[in-house]
Amino acid sequence: MTRRAEYGAAILLTAAAVAAMAWAAVRPGERLFAPVVDWTGAALGEVTGRFGGGNAQDRPDPDVSSQDVFGGDADRGAGLMVAHGCGACHTIPGVAGARGSVGPHLSGFADRAYVAGILPNEPGGLVRWLVDPPAHSPQTAMPDLGVTEAEARDMATYLYTLRGG
Amino acid sequence: MESALDLFGSQSALRPAGQGALEIFDLTVAMVVVFGVVFAGVMALVWVAWRRDRPAGDWWVWSGGVVLPLVAILALMAGSTAVLVASTRPAPEAMVVEVTGHQFWWDIVYDPEGVALRDANELVLPRGRPVTLRLASADVIHSFWVPSISGKADMIPGRVNTLTVTANEAGRFRGQCAEFCGLSHPRMAFEVVVLEPAAFDRWLAEVQGEATDAARPDLVDGREIFVEYGCPACHEVRGVAEGGRLGPDLTRVGARGSLGAGMWRMNQGNLAGWIADVGDMKPGAKMPSYNQLSGPELRAVSAWLASLR
Repeated sequence: MTRRAEYGAAILLTAAAVAAMAWAAVRPGERLFAPVVDWTGAALGEVTGRFGGGNAQDRPDPDVSSQDVFGGDADRGAGLMVAHGCGACHTIPGVAGARGSVGPHLSGFADRAYVAGILPNEPGGLVRWLVDPPAHSPQTAMPDLGVTEAEARDMATYLYTLRGG
Repeated sequence: MESALDLFGSQSALRPAGQGALEIFDLTVAMVVVFGVVFAGVMALVWVAWRRDRPAGDWWVWSGGVVLPLVAILALMAGSTAVLVASTRPAPEAMVVEVTGHQFWWDIVYDPEGVALRDANELVLPRGRPVTLRLASADVIHSFWVPSISGKADMIPGRVNTLTVTANEAGRFRGQCAEFCGLSHPRMAFEVVVLEPAAFDRWLAEVQGEATDAARPDLVDGREIFVEYGCPACHEVRGVAEGGRLGPDLTRVGARGSLGAGMWRMNQGNLAGWIADVGDMKPGAKMPSYNQLSGPELRAVSAWLASLR
């Protein structure tokens, strides 16, 4: 190695040490490079969105009009299913922590013919079931979790995005 | 496994909210700065040495190779020892809380010589008041760690370690067992709830009694099933079934923020899933799964438990 390369290496190491110190001294929570990170994230989202990427596999678009739920919001529904603890019993693709096997797995739910083997699998039947399961099936283990009708609409919207599981 | 961090508050030594955590954070920053300066200085000397033709004299070897490292390391050791001693010394006026690690949950007794209030998996602390934790273990070695509040301390069978903590911020913080203790070690977490001092005193007075709502007429079936299936052999619900110590106290289970030692949100849905299939939610837990309960029985007992406060 030449003398010049050795100087270069020493300077690089020093610069790296100073950079590490500066980084360590930044209080957590301060986002030093926030503009760069946000811009890159937005740009990536733009690109993946345009080419049909994203989480299309987790949440395909509902394309069957008979399963359109009036006023439902799929993202809100996924959050509600976490809040009500649905995942303790059901495996639900795309819902955080939902890996239970006490009750049926809900992958491909939109393709089922019946809800709990009792009600027709269309928005009205599913919403009624989610609001009060024991009212329709007295022997069911699925509790009445105090789900409101509006909440049930959101959850149903999400469940009808699950196809072909 | 999804992280429960966003559900259950902060778990970061880089976001100190307690006296011990703050001291450790400051010590860390001081070490990074001091070692950084030393490193930069050494690099500068390497540069100088390269430019010189003759080798360095003895003076450089002794001062830079022996004296300087010795002084720097002894100074940092003194600092870290002071932090350690301060965090493990019991404060004489502090309230005592006994925390005992089990596979895979935390038994908690507030003021064991006084009110001896038993609870589990959620540690409630007053803001700004020192609390002396007596840490023990019922089976294997666990380690008590709430990174935002204080340093960690091992829980060793047959021994009681003390750790004095002072929370500086009200809020919810996450703690985690920090010593591998078995199959569900990563699922052995808990929440620390820091209340304002007055709210803490009110809380401590309120929760000492029997479980409220334990006899609600619409939920009485659930209570009967709880007793009939032998749950009280392991679980205590004050006012209903006392003496069970093998599992967490359930007197105010419905009021906790989380279920399964800091792993899931507390609600009837998760409670029902837990009772029906514990092994799936927490592999290695000693509680058996109760899928012999009929559907209506499972609904009744989970509704009753969710109501206990």
